[in-house]
Amino acid sequence: MEILTIENLKKNFGGKEVLRGLDLSVPEHSIFGFIGRNGVGKTTTMKAILGLLKPDSGQIHVCGEKVCFGQTRTNRHIGYLPDVPEFYTYMTSLEYLRFCGEISGMDKEDLATRSNELLELVGLGRERRRIKGFSRGMKQRLGIAQALLNRPKLLICDEPTSALDPVGRKEILDILLTAKEQTTILFSTHILSDVERICTEAAFLNDGKIAMRGTIEELRGMRPSDGFIIETEQKEDVGRLIKAFSDLKTGEHNTLTLHGGKERFFRIMQYVAENRIPIQRIERIEPTLETLFLEVTR
Amino acid sequence: MKPLFAFMKKEIMETARTGKLVILVLLFALFGVMNPAIAKLTPWMMEMLSDSLAESGLSVANVQVDAMTSWGQFFKNIPIALIAFVLIFSDSFTKEYRSGTLLLALTKGLPRDKVVLAKTVLLFSLWTLGYGLCFSITYGYTAYFWDNGIAQHLFSAAVMWWLFGVWVISFLVLFSSLLQNNTSVILCTGGMVLLAYVLRVIPKSKTYSPALLMNVNSLLSGVEGTKVYGGAVLVAAVSAVIFVALSVLNMNKRQV
Repeated sequence: MEILTIENLKKNFGGKEVLRGLDLSVPEHSIFGFIGRNGVGKTTTMKAILGLLKPDSGQIHVCGEKVCFGQTRTNRHIGYLPDVPEFYTYMTSLEYLRFCGEISGMDKEDLATRSNELLELVGLGRERRRIKGFSRGMKQRLGIAQALLNRPKLLICDEPTSALDPVGRKEILDILLTAKEQTTILFSTHILSDVERICTEAAFLNDGKIAMRGTIEELRGMRPSDGFIIETEQKEDVGRLIKAFSDLKTGEHNTLTLHGGKERFFRIMQYVAENRIPIQRIERIEPTLETLFLEVTR
Repeated sequence: MKPLFAFMKKEIMETARTGKLVILVLLFALFGVMNPAIAKLTPWMMEMLSDSLAESGLSVANVQVDAMTSWGQFFKNIPIALIAFVLIFSDSFTKEYRSGTLLLALTKGLPRDKVVLAKTVLLFSLWTLGYGLCFSITYGYTAYFWDNGIAQHLFSAAVMWWLFGVWVISFLVLFSSLLQNNTSVILCTGGMVLLAYVLRVIPKSKTYSPALLMNVNSLLSGVEGTKVYGGAVLVAAVSAVIFVALSVLNMNKRQV
């Protein structure tokens, strides 16, 4: 079942067309990577899903219900984590979660147990300070706790890791992986290693539309590998191979990189066998999301 | 109602923990003490100044002060307190837009009208609290030193000025629902008061301008009765309700 569907979404900002007919669907229980460069319209799309922005045209459905601008009932299915979440800094994390639970009409007892459970999950269970003294990473973790508070069916995270150091990033990704069991996650980012690490599916947003989408394996498979790395045992063999095959490129240590398909690779292997050149390593260059991303956004 | 109370509780906590409540109480208490104190000290100050005044040809006779002097000070100082109030609370909405704190609350399903209502109720309550405190202190000291009985329609006059404050706060709310930063909110609120003041010059609109509520001297001295203020009270009360309703409509349409 699709938890989120977007059809032909368009949005202009002062004459600049940010979204030009975006179509997207997110299946249940997936971690969906929403990839695009800065300023390409990821946040705009997310705010439209939350009913915070009025689209010029198009329709959005969350759990089968239509999203309306302003007062939208669909938000009861959604938990939202902005890129830099801002809280009432004079509150403690527990007070903030209590506030969130009360405005969303949660039951008092459920709110108390859920708050403690989530604060433990995000590692803020023992934190008694007010939010004013929190680091960025701590705020981000509290952001996830508030987003998960009313057990949303869809968790929307807007670049949750882009402002964090490697430790903070790892913590957030681990929490999101844990949260996967409870909810579907739509996760916008431009950090492709994060997508490769946790996402099950992804879509590339470019020029106001979805340029490509699929599971991570499908996306990788869209551009078959055409490159190999060959590492020789002896340094002088590198020179011999380059002499014979001028399109090889030298790399670090005794490595050579080849781009040019299988036929070319077999010719080199034949030469290696005939000349009895000892080889240390042969590696196929796997296509990465990064190369795909660069190709799509070029 | 639960979201409204939750948001109001947050507003109260914010006012208390950010120190605004302390500032408000100190400010209004200070004004409350100052009014009778200035009245009480006037003869002494005049005496101190009598020598220099005599040199410039003015002779100071026996200066008489009474409860009217103290209340005169009260109604002279309360506009400054209202200005301070507007300055302190002008960022009540805009701070939330700027920092993005409201964004999370709205995505949690907080109805937008509750944001306007909770903030409006709190602002009206704080104004009532501050104004009431200032009035009570002035009343207490004035009663101790002189006789409050000589001030005619004292409570009606006080209510008039309180209502003027409520009217000003209602368009502070209106402009806060429309604008993005608190400087614009302050300028527009000030502009509206000025406009109401200017409109008083036109004879026909004089009796209906809420700015009339600021001018209570003739009421205190018993020259005029409360009936003169009927039109202005009605206009102020009705327009305050309309301003708050418009604020709710603006907030519902606002792109956060």
